[in-house]
Amino acid sequence: MLADITRLELTLRRRSTIGYAAGMALYTLAVVVLYPSFKNSTSLDSLSGSTAAALFGVTESLTSPGGWLNGNIYGNFFPLIMLLLTIGYGAATVAGQDEDGTLALLIALPLPRRAILVQKAAAMALQALLLAAAVTIAVFIGRAFALTISPGNAIAISAALALMGLDFGLMTMATGAATRRRGTALAVGVSLAAVSYLLSSLAQTISWIRPGRYLSLFYWSVGDDQISKGVGAGDFAVLIAVGLCALWAAADAFRRADLN
Amino acid sequence: MRSAIETFGLTKRYGAITAVADLSLRVEPGQVFGFLGPNGAGKSTTIRMLLGLQRPTRGHATLLGLDAAAGSVEIHRCIGYLPGDLELFPRLTGRQHIAWFARARGDVDDALVRQLIERFQVVADRPVRELSKGNRQKVGLVLAFMHRPELLVLDEPTSGLDPLMQHEFADLLRETADQGRTVFLSSHELDEVQRVADRIGIIKQGRLVAEDTVDGLRRAAPRKMEVLFRRPVDPAALSMVTGVSVTACDGPQVTLEVTGEIAAALKAIADHDPVDLICRPADLDELFLGFYRESADAEVSHAG
Repeated sequence: MLADITRLELTLRRRSTIGYAAGMALYTLAVVVLYPSFKNSTSLDSLSGSTAAALFGVTESLTSPGGWLNGNIYGNFFPLIMLLLTIGYGAATVAGQDEDGTLALLIALPLPRRAILVQKAAAMALQALLLAAAVTIAVFIGRAFALTISPGNAIAISAALALMGLDFGLMTMATGAATRRRGTALAVGVSLAAVSYLLSSLAQTISWIRPGRYLSLFYWSVGDDQISKGVGAGDFAVLIAVGLCALWAAADAFRRADLN
Repeated sequence: MRSAIETFGLTKRYGAITAVADLSLRVEPGQVFGFLGPNGAGKSTTIRMLLGLQRPTRGHATLLGLDAAAGSVEIHRCIGYLPGDLELFPRLTGRQHIAWFARARGDVDDALVRQLIERFQVVADRPVRELSKGNRQKVGLVLAFMHRPELLVLDEPTSGLDPLMQHEFADLLRETADQGRTVFLSSHELDEVQRVADRIGIIKQGRLVAEDTVDGLRRAAPRKMEVLFRRPVDPAALSMVTGVSVTACDGPQVTLEVTGEIAAALKAIADHDPVDLICRPADLDELFLGFYRESADAEVSHAG
């Protein structure tokens, strides 16, 4: 049974949530269906290893099942869509609702602000989960197209990317609660995610950036060859710890915020 | 007896701007309290502090005996709130709003909801983005009243309502007060407040400048006196009397505005050999408009 505010938030964003999930599932299906046509294309492998390829999340052989999924889905497009969803929601649900005036009626309910914020964060988690599930199911269908990767790894990497999306979404929510400005929250969320992406992808080929990869949430979810190695307990621990810190920061900023 | 609302030196500053300054007032249970003031006077900021949406810079408030900041969850359980410039979720219908808030509150009587929907002729089954301001406001009123709150805090409640609905709303307020429940409503329209309120507080530039019953305010409101003297008089001789100001002077014909008791004014008039005198009843409009004009003048001079 969903808490009331979680249910309301999901109702309000029903169309976009389904749209994101359906769009991402279709894209993933297209990628997996195309794999048999590319798996013997050796020329593709010459792309990997360059800084330009790293910028687009391509870090290994594109013709292996894992490399194909990483280079087309997990390393770039899936995190991008996930971040659009979570950062967009994070900015809209506190600062956005405060700016457009709809938050006042929710705050006037007999609920502590902390509970309101946690329920909104739960709505974000469920949206991220649905997107991750859509991609995972489409990837499983890829087994029929010679795209054989470990099911455990596929589930784990989707979960890790959902957690990474949540982390940035919660940081955006915290910024929104602290500034009460949707634009500022979006700018901070997008900038943090962009820097994080660049740190992880360029660290593969530029040696002086390499130590900085530990600061990147991309590194802890997809940038450390998790597609073949699996997502380790340490990776999950970092992603969860960052999420809890961001949730705490958002709740604290929301508790102290002057709202309209 | 525990007051329904009490504020103690409530102050809110935004940087250098003081939105509400040292506001102390008390609203008794069962009262309809009209909180009156021009736009931008600090009414909504005061209400947001009462609701715990904003923290005062200084001072504090209690609602139903609970601290507005620390007891906000318990307070919210017992109050109905209608925000100024009400915004609803555009894609949801009025009925969906009502159903969701009723479920979230959990203590709503379906029969009362149906009665309110009927009474305010709420357009319940269209998305609120397709509704006029007045029809959205009606949804907001149902949300505020549907759980029979002990205290209603309504910010510009009749905004957008047609005269028939304003009348219906006034009746509902009266019934609410008769049941011993309390209403705190803000407005910038004197007529509306005069019609429904037991007591009125007037706020101007963040300060409470008057607080009394409607009759009490009327007694303090300026009366207009038109006096015809036998010969032209020096207006300065009259305007130096306490509570008297000369608003027009045309030879022997002088118009005065008299505030408070009229004895001193009558003595001064008698000294100048009056021929005729017309005294108009105290005008609350004049009192209130006086506050409006002073605020507008202040804004003009500030802008200049």
